[in-house]
Amino acid sequence: MASISLQNVSRHFGDFAAVDGVDLEAASGEFVTLLGASGCGKTTTLRMVAGLEQNTGGRIVIDDEVVSDAARGAFMPPEKRRLGMVFQSYAIWPHMTVFDNVAYPLRIRRRPKDEISQRVKLALKLVEMDSFAARPAPALSGGQQQRVAIARALVFEPRVLLLDEPLSNLDARLRTQTGDEFRALQKRLGITSLYVTHDQTEAMALSDRVVVMSKGRILQIGAPEEIYRRPNNRGVAEFFGSPNLIAATARASRPLADGLFSIDVEGDGWSGQCQASEGFSPGTVVSVMLRPENMRISDGDAPAMSWKGEVTASVFRGAQRSLSVKTAAGPLNVDISAFAHPAVGSNITLVADEAAAWAMAT
Amino acid sequence: MSEIVAPLQAGRAERPASAGLWSRWASGRGIGVLAIILLLSFLTIYPFAMLFYGSLHSTPPGMAGEYNLNGYRQLLSKEALGILLNTVGISLGKTIPSLTLAVFLAWIIARTDTPCRDKLEVLITLPFFIPPILTAMAWAMLGNPQVGLLNQLFKWATGVNYSPINVYSWGGVVWHMVQYSTPFLFLFIVDVFRAMDPALEESSRMCGASRLRTFGGITLMLMLPALTNAFILSFIRGMENFESPLFFGAPAKITVITTEMYNSINHHATPDYQYATAIGFGVMILMFALVIAQWRLLRGRSFTTVTGKGYSPSVMKLGKWRWATFGFCVLFFFITVVLPVSQLFIGSFFRFFGFYQWDMLTLEHYRAVFSSSEIWRAISNTMLLGLGGATLTMALGAVVAYISVRTKWRGRRVIDALAWLPWMMPGMVLGIGFLWAFAMLPGPIPIYGTIWALLLAYLALGTPVATRVMTGAYAQLSFDLEECSRVHGASFFQTLSRILVALAWPSFAVGWVLTFFGIMRELSASVLLYSVGSEVLSVVLMKLWANGLAEQVSVIGLMMMLLVILFRYVQIKILQRYVTTLGV
Ligand SMILES: Nc1ncnc2c1ncn2[C@@H]1O[C@H](COP(=O)(O)OP(=O)(O)O)[C@@H](O)[C@H]1O
Ligand SMILES: [Mg+2]
Repeated sequence: MASISLQNVSRHFGDFAAVDGVDLEAASGEFVTLLGASGCGKTTTLRMVAGLEQNTGGRIVIDDEVVSDAARGAFMPPEKRRLGMVFQSYAIWPHMTVFDNVAYPLRIRRRPKDEISQRVKLALKLVEMDSFAARPAPALSGGQQQRVAIARALVFEPRVLLLDEPLSNLDARLRTQTGDEFRALQKRLGITSLYVTHDQTEAMALSDRVVVMSKGRILQIGAPEEIYRRPNNRGVAEFFGSPNLIAATARASRPLADGLFSIDVEGDGWSGQCQASEGFSPGTVVSVMLRPENMRISDGDAPAMSWKGEVTASVFRGAQRSLSVKTAAGPLNVDISAFAHPAVGSNITLVADEAAAWAMAT
Repeated sequence: MSEIVAPLQAGRAERPASAGLWSRWASGRGIGVLAIILLLSFLTIYPFAMLFYGSLHSTPPGMAGEYNLNGYRQLLSKEALGILLNTVGISLGKTIPSLTLAVFLAWIIARTDTPCRDKLEVLITLPFFIPPILTAMAWAMLGNPQVGLLNQLFKWATGVNYSPINVYSWGGVVWHMVQYSTPFLFLFIVDVFRAMDPALEESSRMCGASRLRTFGGITLMLMLPALTNAFILSFIRGMENFESPLFFGAPAKITVITTEMYNSINHHATPDYQYATAIGFGVMILMFALVIAQWRLLRGRSFTTVTGKGYSPSVMKLGKWRWATFGFCVLFFFITVVLPVSQLFIGSFFRFFGFYQWDMLTLEHYRAVFSSSEIWRAISNTMLLGLGGATLTMALGAVVAYISVRTKWRGRRVIDALAWLPWMMPGMVLGIGFLWAFAMLPGPIPIYGTIWALLLAYLALGTPVATRVMTGAYAQLSFDLEECSRVHGASFFQTLSRILVALAWPSFAVGWVLTFFGIMRELSASVLLYSVGSEVLSVVLMKLWANGLAEQVSVIGLMMMLLVILFRYVQIKILQRYVTTLGV
């Protein structure tokens, strides 16, 4: 298995920078996901790694081998890079059977016949498509095509697997299942994977690390939990769910044992302690992120932070109940147990723990 | 409750009346469908049946005679077999290089970063719109073994007294056909290239295949059904071709099916209609067989590889080679358009073609052409037939396509099939069929020998293309649009005309120009159906040429070229502005 390294990689289309100075390392066997809204340059980044698009700036290294270096004009064509790729449209060749599709990379490499049939069978078994080998490709469903595409990408034991939104053409139910199956397979084979999606739940469920992109740049790289709990900035925070972001002023900063900082903050009608990845000098205006599911209604005790307000809306969502509360610090969204039902118009007090409040530079 | 019941009852009370209206409307519709079926039958089935009748009839149309199989007996002779082999050989001989060339050009335009591809595409496809008779005459002057311009240039440049080019040969026939079928095939293939999902090729690269291997193993294989289709179509067109073998084959005693039919009517002491008609009927059977073979070959083998992406990321960077591909496209345009047009231009200003000296410069040919009442009559006939014929053909095509794509009426399949039938009738065969058909009409309908004969033939020949164009246009419009219009109380014709006017008119206009081109270039049916007073330009050109007036031919040819360029320009403008935006 191989590592991937992107060093200050850019791709310009005319004046427009689709990818702008991306630095990214994926260790051997790691599952790294590029996550971002449509048009932010994920596909372009992936295609540059594949060699289907040439980077106009920076260097791409796979396994200590420089495959593309814009400064030196070095460029290795895709067929030399030994990477497997699964396309968004799957790109299963309609004029071939399933077997021929999967056998193609081996035939290109002129492997002996019995080795081909053995390895194709093995690859099809991996994706549970071994009974479909003789099918003509057009007679497959979307989910089956996706499996064949994965088998075809894996059959020649590529160094890295690249996947461009492989689940986006499946229906919702199949998407979760296929995603989990693929992650299990990836772990079993230990193959380095670079995965592109615009779906944050998918990214969090599958990846070792998530790369959040926006407008051709990387906003943050980290493990799913880290990105979710401790975003670098508002852009990343807002990408996952709909968190409450409250303006506040930092009063004091103390370093904590795990490298984080504890910040004393004061806002409109509230004050308390939250955590941050950096210290802020007193007086700095910060954004405090509070996720709806991490806030609750006070049951009498009043820990560090609390907000008084009036319930303006209440929506039953089955698993939980979403409230909108009007407070002095602004409107706050809270998810509470579906069994509690404070009436609209009633006054309540919301509370949150220090660990659930995250401060960022605005 | 009573409030709800009341309108229901009222509705029930009204029903019989509205049902009566509906059935009256439906029977009106039945009559309309029947009328269209009758019209189409008159244009297709009737001449086809008359072809069979005529092939058994021993005398020319309209004369008393007996019934025998002499025509078919002649068909079974050794000479006839030779002619068939000639035809097949020439058609194969032109289809293979044309297809190769067309694939190469389409690849350049659709898949490489060759400069100015959009403009090159316009230039490459231009030869398809030029009447073949023009370039045939121009090439006959360019490649004449005695005085041809190219041979003169060669002699002048090398000092050798030898003519390397002789267009009056097998090669000359094929060469002329290639110039037409290449752009025709290109138009087909370039869209197939464009419609292909680039990921299908990119995944092959990712599997380790080189660019070349991918092109051979994936791209061409994916295109195989379309290429087979194009091949058969081009082969059929080659068998139908009349101009090239007439101009380049006949002087070299190379006879093909169409020229044999033409000769047996026009160049025998006594016109042998029965033989010509028997050939025509035989050709129809052959075409049927070919089309059925094509169907069986391609059944279920069309791969939909269409992508939704706006831009195609798989354009190949050719580096310095992109100037070579650019040059190749320009060269193609130069040889197929610039060279023959220049010949017409030069030819029109010299007293005798072939003698290009300063003291031979003259404007007398222009004077002769503009003062000839016969030529003016041909111009006005062609214009009348072109404008009227294109409008009627497109109107028929619009109605036929509408009924077959957009309604579920009974009889729509019959209509569709009838409208498609002339697709495989060569102009020459249809011409002979109509000769018989008009002659056999009851006395008081004097179509034969009038301009109406030509109009009906053009209508029949143009309907398949007109229907195809309009089918494509309707297919892009969503059904909701017109259902909405119908729900809001518009009648069938209101809906049709509103949709046509509002949305499908650019396609109508593009198809109209295409049909107009078709009429202007038509020779093989016209040459059989014209009579004194109803000559069209292509026929007059041929007569002038036969009388050795190549210089006047050049003048008329130039004027037709101007018309072609003007119309093509308008057509492209409409295509660019409206059709593409509609398509997206
Ligand atoms: N070949 C191209 N030519 C011009 N613009 C392109 C090309 N490829 C991508 N882009 C632009 O680059 C941006 C990023 O595209 P892409 O990487 O496909 O985004 P994503 O996959 O994140 O949705 C988009 O704005 C897109 O329009
Ligand atoms: Mg994308």
